[in-house]
Amino acid sequence: GARDELNAFTKGLKGLDGAFSQQVFDPKGKLKETSSGKVALSAPRLFRWEYTKPYPQLIVADGKTVWVFDPDLQQVTKRPQGAEEQHSPLSALIDPGKLDAQFVVKEAGTDKGLEWLVLSPKGEKSDASFQSARLGFGAAGLEKMQVVDALGQRTVIDFSGWKRNPAFGRDVFRYSPPKGVDVIGEGG
Amino acid sequence: CVSRPTRTAPPTAQEVATGEAWQRARHVALEGATRWSLSGRIAVSANGKGGSGRIDWTQDGDRFDIALGAPVTRQSWRLSGDATLARLEGLEGGPREGADAQRLLQEATGWRIPVGALRDWARGLPSTQATGGVETYGSDGRLARVTQSGWVLEFQDWHPATAERPDMPKRIFARSGDATVRLLIDEWQLVAAGPAGEAPRSGSDAVPE
Repeated sequence: GARDELNAFTKGLKGLDGAFSQQVFDPKGKLKETSSGKVALSAPRLFRWEYTKPYPQLIVADGKTVWVFDPDLQQVTKRPQGAEEQHSPLSALIDPGKLDAQFVVKEAGTDKGLEWLVLSPKGEKSDASFQSARLGFGAAGLEKMQVVDALGQRTVIDFSGWKRNPAFGRDVFRYSPPKGVDVIGEGG
Repeated sequence: CVSRPTRTAPPTAQEVATGEAWQRARHVALEGATRWSLSGRIAVSANGKGGSGRIDWTQDGDRFDIALGAPVTRQSWRLSGDATLARLEGLEGGPREGADAQRLLQEATGWRIPVGALRDWARGLPSTQATGGVETYGSDGRLARVTQSGWVLEFQDWHPATAERPDMPKRIFARSGDATVRLLIDEWQLVAAGPAGEAPRSGSDAVPE
């Protein structure tokens, strides 16, 4: 089942590099946004989301600080890395042990050719950032993640081209704001 | 996108006349469109705090519905209401209500967004809910800056007019003291106020370049 797929996928996994495409649907199911780019993850808590379409945006978590750079708005936002990341289902990917500690995990069988796990938040309902999440596993491992947030907005992320344990360059999970850009927020 | 040349010389009389004529025509065109929506990105900062995210704003007369989505997770929260009551949902601690949308948002998130006035400013109009109001026109005959209620709004980029709607703002940088609001509008939809049930005649833009 999906649990075995998760275990197989995360066994000996320290880092991942791949492409993603993301769709966001409003609570009524209307497609609001389509975006795509590259994602990199490195145990235990480093990640990099690099959006290229329809416009550039960069999110880097260097272990201490989460940086968000919006070039078109010439603003960098930084905040200490912490709770929000723990609540994100994606963080469970690199640290599957955390999955059961953080979420109630149930097998949800096969659908659209993928094996699914359904995650729902454990503990206090309100501090989770999402209502429910689903992870879809196929031949290439995790291929699809769906998250429904507290307001019923659904985000669907498709992953492809996973490279396992790639040799990351030194500054993949580092960020320093370019000149002439406003940097706001704490941490970093 | 390259922002427009910052100007040093004051606008000539001709530029002012062209600008005012351009703005009058826009006023007329926009008055009829009481239902509109914009989608794009917003970045906010005030005394060193703030954030950025996706923004989808729908307005129908006095009723507004503003959805904001965080980066990556797009965890969203929603500010909706009308002239008398605002409601903020999606944040920890559950829904909140209050008479003033700006204060409600600021108390809950620290974000300072002049929601009432932005309803007009976002459309490149001086706000009826703000005091004073100095409009400055650029050499291209379009609105370059509005100063109102202590806010200075720079209109740095415009979506050119289409068959359905006049020129609409694309990039607005607003500042009031230490607070800044930066709005990049990827798509506009204006619905002329026809009789109820009339199919909305909306003009939307191509996918942003």
